[in-house]
Amino acid sequence: MLIVQDLHAQYGRAHILQGVSFAVPPGAALVLLGRNGAGKSTTFKSLIGLIRPTAGRITFAGHQIAGHEPHRIAQSGLGYVPEERRIFTDLTVMENLEVGRLPSRDGQPGWTPERLFSLFPNLATMRSRPGGRMSGGEQQMLAIARTLMGNPRMVLLDEPSEGLAPVIVEQMAHAIRAMREAGVTVLLAEQNLHFALAVADHAAIIETGRITWSGTVAALRADPALSEAWLAR
Amino acid sequence: MLLVQLLTGLSSAASLFLVAAGLTVIFGVTRVVNFSHGSLTMLGAYIGWSVLTRLPRGPEWFVLGIVLTGLATAAIGVVLETLLLRRIYRAPELLQLLFTFGIVLVVQDAALWIWGANDLPLPRAPWLRAFVVIAGERVPQYDLILIAVGPLVLGALWLLFTRTRWGILVRAATQDRDMVAALGVDQKRLFTSVFALGAGLAGIGGALALPDASANLQIDLNIITDAFVVVVVGGLGSLPGAFLASVMIGVLQSFGIVLIPQGTLVIVFVIMAGVLVVRPNGLLGTAPSAVHGEAASFAPIRPAVPLLRWIGGAGLAIAALAPLVAGPFALSVLTEMAIAVLFAASLHFMMGPGGMASFGHAAWFGIGAYAAAFAVKGAGMGGLVLAPIVAGLAAALFGWFVVRLSGVYLAMLTLAFAQIVWAAMFQAVDLTGGDNGILGVWPAPWAADRRVFYWLTLALCVGGALLLRRILYAPFGYALRAARDSALRAEAIGLDAGRLRLAAFVIAGAAAGLAGGLSAFSKGSVFPGFVSIARSVDGLLMVLLGGVQTIAGPIIGAIAYTGLFDLLLLVTDFWRAALGMAIVVLVLAFPHGIAGTLHRAWLRGRPA
Repeated sequence: MLIVQDLHAQYGRAHILQGVSFAVPPGAALVLLGRNGAGKSTTFKSLIGLIRPTAGRITFAGHQIAGHEPHRIAQSGLGYVPEERRIFTDLTVMENLEVGRLPSRDGQPGWTPERLFSLFPNLATMRSRPGGRMSGGEQQMLAIARTLMGNPRMVLLDEPSEGLAPVIVEQMAHAIRAMREAGVTVLLAEQNLHFALAVADHAAIIETGRITWSGTVAALRADPALSEAWLAR
Repeated sequence: MLLVQLLTGLSSAASLFLVAAGLTVIFGVTRVVNFSHGSLTMLGAYIGWSVLTRLPRGPEWFVLGIVLTGLATAAIGVVLETLLLRRIYRAPELLQLLFTFGIVLVVQDAALWIWGANDLPLPRAPWLRAFVVIAGERVPQYDLILIAVGPLVLGALWLLFTRTRWGILVRAATQDRDMVAALGVDQKRLFTSVFALGAGLAGIGGALALPDASANLQIDLNIITDAFVVVVVGGLGSLPGAFLASVMIGVLQSFGIVLIPQGTLVIVFVIMAGVLVVRPNGLLGTAPSAVHGEAASFAPIRPAVPLLRWIGGAGLAIAALAPLVAGPFALSVLTEMAIAVLFAASLHFMMGPGGMASFGHAAWFGIGAYAAAFAVKGAGMGGLVLAPIVAGLAAALFGWFVVRLSGVYLAMLTLAFAQIVWAAMFQAVDLTGGDNGILGVWPAPWAADRRVFYWLTLALCVGGALLLRRILYAPFGYALRAARDSALRAEAIGLDAGRLRLAAFVIAGAAAGLAGGLSAFSKGSVFPGFVSIARSVDGLLMVLLGGVQTIAGPIIGAIAYTGLFDLLLLVTDFWRAALGMAIVVLVLAFPHGIAGTLHRAWLRGRPA
């Protein structure tokens, strides 16, 4: 679904991504593991086009998308849920969903607000509440729902469990599994390893702008050195 | 009587609201403070005149003409946006302003060329002359129609922005345009359509005012000043706020003309200042949300490299020796340049390191000039000493209000204060001679020789500019820049950001006052034009042309601008269009100002 090859990106003079390469097979869920500043968010912003990569190839659903404008990338079926959620605080829940709406693709039944409300029951009770008057967990759900309204083939989730109560994290894991059942490919950035391993089947480790390990989640669990470094935190 | 004034005020509010609504909608989405919005209003008036004078006189034809005018200005807006404005959305705020002011100048000359210099009143059809008698008073029927138009348009816009997908997308983009793009919405098309709506509203606003006024070349700057006030008082981006503020200002002006004909302008701006002090974000505005991904960052100012010192020294030597060969005209241009250097350097001091972008820097220049002119009778050349002192004191008084605000609001408040000063000088005829100004402000006999006066000016202006530069490298300068970059963090390490900004404001005001005093003696007279918006804009042009981020910038900008301006006056009648086009091209070519762009080119290929 997504193939990233030797991706470079920088903010001003800070060279954040120094040759990131990984691939996400269709229908898979890959978790990008890394500490703060390793380059997870920059990778995502480069993929969706909010940052223009300085070098490298990004192949999404068979098309080269590196350097394209964000709206074209999103229209081609790549959804993005940013770390800061970036809910439109002046807009109601329904209006936020409307902003994300894109036509359904490949003749599939599209995501509708009603279908999303069954996935996120909390949202159903606050349809006309402004985004600014929602809790962090509710905003995170809305951010995911808003992106699903675009009927994406694949979703980028940047630290969806960050700062959320355990019970909400549980709901989030449930939602991600439901997304996968609906055929959406998932790329996830996480620091919460337990959450990540509960929803992902592939993993890649990013350190100072480079992928230093990638493989299946099973292989990650089986490698004592890696488990030591990433589980014992 | 009271009722008639009230209704007149409400009807004049309608056209103002349409224009301000367009301005606020465009600002909300594009974040561009669009000076050329006034030009679209002016074009609306002219196009409306051309269309309506060709159509039959009936009311139904009038409506058609207004709609056609709106469509025409919307189309012009689309052309403006796609060809020009689109290129500067990521440029610094003030360069955008400069850019749109360039468009204002071009449109002004285009209108002069197409429609001529004379005011064009609309021949009034019988239905436009009709009156309705309310409570024994004759009220023009057209006024009542206009009064209804305001709320109707507000309602229509409200429906548009809450009930349509397009409106929801626009509101979302107002908050976070990058996120909207990441959700698959084409920002470019959205921006263009918003611009078309705003431009259409501006055009209709201009055309609707025709029956009560005329199409003329002053509409652009007059309406944009009023619209700025309305938008800022109402709260940036708030349509109900804009409506409330335009009603308030329309009614106030209408009563003001009857009650204090001498002080109408002052009232409007005093109200604006008052509202901003109590509610810094306007009546219905909310604190501006940080626009994602566009943190303002200033490169640190570094001492001049030896090469630059040599160039500066050589330039100064040439300037000092020039009178030996220069003729009277060249000498007066040189004097003007020297004064411009100090004026621009003082504005830069406030804008760059101080972080306070001023729209009204002419206030201090004008106060200095008038102080020198008042004092000349008693003190002669001693008035020159008073110029910076009085201007500095006035800046301390105004600064107390101003330094609490930031960004566009601060710029608008400084504009308001400058307009108050302008109005006071213009309307206090007994003291200032009003529009006729004060004449006979000549230098003392020892400095009467043009060359001696030039040397004096050069010494004071270059000395002043160097002193400002010296202050920036003193601890005060570092503290000031710290307060600009992060007021919160500066306060956390024990700096009083408010006091630092106030001090910078006063220093800049005093320096501009000295420039004004010198200008008064150089010209031999003082006019309200010394305090005009045009003068403030001149200063901004100089600083932005040169580049805010370098100290040499305003100096280069002042010289380039004064030279360019005088050259243009010599070679063409359409100097505005030429200047405007030069500005547009310069901003496109040097998005960081001349000196800023050169500085970047210089840094390129060097290690950080």
